[in-house]
Amino acid sequence: MTPIIIFIPAILSAPFFPAIILKVKAFFGGKKGPPLLIQYYTLAKLFKKGSVYSTSTTYIFKLGPMVSLSAALTALMFLPISGAAPLFSFKGDVLFVLYLLGLGRFFTIAAALDTASPFEGMGAAREAYFPIICEATTFMIFILFYRLTGELTLASFFYGNHPLELWRVAGAPLAFVVTAFFIVLLTENARVPVDDPATHLELTMIHEVMVLDHSGPDFGFIEMGSFCKLFFYAAIVSRLVFPFDLGHPAMNLAAFSLIMLLIYAAVGVIESVMARYRMDRVPKFVLTSFALAFVATIITLEFVK
Amino acid sequence: MTHLVDIILSFVLLSIIFSFGSSRLQGLIKALAFQGVVVSIVPFFIGHDITEGGVLFSLTTLLIRGIAIPFYIYRFIEKVAAHRELEPIIGYNGSIFTGLLLIVAAMAVSRKFSVPSASTSLLLLPTAISLLVGGMFLLMARRKAITMILGYITMENGIYLVGTTFSVRAHHIVEFGILLDVLAGVMIMAVILQNIKLKMQSGGEDTSLNIISKE
Repeated sequence: MTPIIIFIPAILSAPFFPAIILKVKAFFGGKKGPPLLIQYYTLAKLFKKGSVYSTSTTYIFKLGPMVSLSAALTALMFLPISGAAPLFSFKGDVLFVLYLLGLGRFFTIAAALDTASPFEGMGAAREAYFPIICEATTFMIFILFYRLTGELTLASFFYGNHPLELWRVAGAPLAFVVTAFFIVLLTENARVPVDDPATHLELTMIHEVMVLDHSGPDFGFIEMGSFCKLFFYAAIVSRLVFPFDLGHPAMNLAAFSLIMLLIYAAVGVIESVMARYRMDRVPKFVLTSFALAFVATIITLEFVK
Repeated sequence: MTHLVDIILSFVLLSIIFSFGSSRLQGLIKALAFQGVVVSIVPFFIGHDITEGGVLFSLTTLLIRGIAIPFYIYRFIEKVAAHRELEPIIGYNGSIFTGLLLIVAAMAVSRKFSVPSASTSLLLLPTAISLLVGGMFLLMARRKAITMILGYITMENGIYLVGTTFSVRAHHIVEFGILLDVLAGVMIMAVILQNIKLKMQSGGEDTSLNIISKE
């Protein structure tokens, strides 16, 4: 029962956290910023609207937003949010979740290509390129976790005080892993310094350009899907940063929410103090995360023999 | 992960990757200074050399290797304003990959050795080899003379660490002699580069000679 009690509020709170990023950015800009519930208003507004479909699109275009949202939601079901047991878990679900996220991305890209717009094709090419390196990083991290725990489920990595066990065995290299995962978070969710979610200039956008043609509820699905995806990555980082099990689910949830707020605030601070990288510099930035994960793996393998 | 020195050394390994991917001289020098500091304090952590002479030598090494040499090069770069891109022969992404492979190779090779310090720290020899070969790589893969000096010093850090690894006692005299040589070498190189720079500025545009920097 507890997994569902935690899962549903988690989904419902997913649009809340990105508002923290906006608030932090507004604070740095000396502005008041949008209200904390802004994303809920946006979603409500989008779902009230009707959809407009270009005549050049096919059913793929309509499928894209739904698949990407449901992929993100399903991935969240396998994650031990706040250290509680996940809804589902089976041997090897790590691979399943990674490919699920890949499927969501594939359909976003396919929908973008389906519009037959050259701009969206450009964004799709970038969206396909950068996350490849991210995937390599994520796989490297999970290979490391597999070596440490001997199991291949998200629950065995992040449930209860299992992350503490990872820290105890791996030590300092796990700090590299956290950093690498944070870079993956920034890249996968199209945040600064990889992509600027605030810009609306087609030539510089990555993620934003692909969803230009979606409107109304479809765009709402895409937004919700991206909130869930950000929540997914932030939840993993929060489990690694705060690996303790406080004994009571409510206390765990409180601590988890606090850490999540801090992570989103950190994303906001990064967005405020950094500029976007030039497009040809982005691969190097993402490659840094791979290097971190790789070094962590090599070093740890030396100890765990 | 048991020993404190391994945690610090893992950061050194990271700094090698960082120096391979860094496109700015300042970043490279900071990585170098960090390596210098760590390399000279490692003897304390391994537990030998806690004699008066040993401590004195280690602290002097720290002073020269971690502070004096990087500071001197930093000053020199400020003076000739050579803080543009490094003009790599092998690109930054390629360099990062090479660095990763290099660390893997160093790990593999270091298992073949049986060294006295292996019982205290597992990462000591791999880091030493990585620094050594990484310095060589920087020497080969970057075009400017100033980067070659930095590569040379990285290599020297590696040699010092190898020395710490292999000899458990009484290596100070030799190491210290080498260190002074390096210091002198760096100063001489800096003076030569400065003169070349001056000659180039006064002598008109000989673009084939842009070994320090191309503004």
